Amino acid sequence: MKLADLAQQRQDYSYAFLDAHAKRELRRRILKAIAIPGYQVPYASRELPIARGWGTGGLQVTLSLVGPESVVKVIDQGADDSVNAANLRRFITTMSGAKTTIDTLQATILQSRHRIPEEIMLEGQTLVLQVPDPEPLRGVTADMSKAHQLHADADYGQMWLLLYEQLVRYRQYIQGASYPSLVNGRYIISPSPIPRWDTPKLHQAAHLTLLSAGREKRLYAVPPYTNVYPLEFNDVPFQVEDQKGWVCKTTGVQNKFMNELPQEDGTSQYELSDSGYANKLADTAQSGATYYDDQGDFYHAGYLKPPVIPPI
Amino acid sequence: MAVPAYTPSEAQARDTFLALMWALSYPGRVYTLPADGHALSLIGVTLLDLETSYFTPDAVIAENLAQTGARAQPAAKAAYHFYPVLDAANLDGLHQCSTGTLLYPDAASTLVIGCQIGIGAGYILHGPGILGQQTIQLDGIPADFWLLRSAVCRYPLGWDVYFVDEQRIVGLPRSVQVERSST
Repeated sequence: MKLADLAQQRQDYSYAFLDAHAKRELRRRILKAIAIPGYQVPYASRELPIARGWGTGGLQVTLSLVGPESVVKVIDQGADDSVNAANLRRFITTMSGAKTTIDTLQATILQSRHRIPEEIMLEGQTLVLQVPDPEPLRGVTADMSKAHQLHADADYGQMWLLLYEQLVRYRQYIQGASYPSLVNGRYIISPSPIPRWDTPKLHQAAHLTLLSAGREKRLYAVPPYTNVYPLEFNDVPFQVEDQKGWVCKTTGVQNKFMNELPQEDGTSQYELSDSGYANKLADTAQSGATYYDDQGDFYHAGYLKPPVIPPI
Repeated sequence: MAVPAYTPSEAQARDTFLALMWALSYPGRVYTLPADGHALSLIGVTLLDLETSYFTPDAVIAENLAQTGARAQPAAKAAYHFYPVLDAANLDGLHQCSTGTLLYPDAASTLVIGCQIGIGAGYILHGPGILGQQTIQLDGIPADFWLLRSAVCRYPLGWDVYFVDEQRIVGLPRSVQVERSST
């Protein structure tokens, strides 16, 4: 026997970059987050070779889950090929040997900045959302410890007041992305800056969603088959973005979330925000089932209600 | 650059964690822990380090857990509890164990309990992670455990429980309601 056989191979990095101690802490926190849907669990948030604010929260969660057999998809605003997504994907695969895909249904781990894909995610898949600001109450109280106390007391009166004031001033809810939502009837979360279009996709989903804010050192979860309701008054239902009549310029589909491309002549063209889905349609004209059908109807019938404009 | 080595200990910790994570995400479904080693110690080694504390009445498990660097604590103070068998004496300790506080519900205890899965009394579960309802059968869990759980666990406070039968594991987070099945 030679000494070289006994000695451990030189390693410049731990597997999946984070050391065992960091992963263990993160994993303990993830389990608590799943057990208390919507509660923001504090965690250590380690240094990574990318700056905080560029997806380090999501990245740490992905690194604590990933293994050689994992299939990873990373998107940024729906696109697989943006700089942020491409760099995160390259880092994850370099550090773990995981395979990558742009097909939502093939992914075991899907890390996303600000979109949930159009195709319905399945049981056993994990959606990791990068969160810039985990605190839904920040708009009504700047003090983190006060917000923490309000969550503890389930005291969300100020959030309702905020919505009421929006209705008084604008006759509609004006919050766009990160629409505050009630999880499992207890905690209000910011679902990360996904458009309102994506918020209902968290409700009674088959997949597990983990949301993680690296800069703010908080992570929270929406387990599978959990109730998630956007805040709304009974008589003025929550609405998703109205994109009726918008047609994707490359695939010709409607009633999916679109990017608006302003043209020189002042008009607009539209294209699918979910680039993996667009590629699939272009290649095979086939896709998995989608959250919104071709008529724009959401797959949980009755969850989204027709618009009501309150009287002045 | 070569991918960092996926060492056996790395693989074991990750496989154990994934079993725990999916067991908690889909409560009542049976998942499988890696086959090597004693299941309760394996979970301990995966989750514990010097930042945490544990309690177990079992001498062998205690010895394994001590090597993680975690602190041995009495039942009232420990964050992670390991019971190979849940008997009347252990139930007294459970009575004191932490369900967290409203400010920090994540400070609640995690219980890992040995039992038999798939035989014995039937239970119906409802709640997050469950589509409609999920049924499980567990043997070796005293009826007083369920009474205690419903008495002290007031959501969002409560224990997060794993039932372990050799390599099989079932999760029961505090968010799930349990009823005894009549059949």
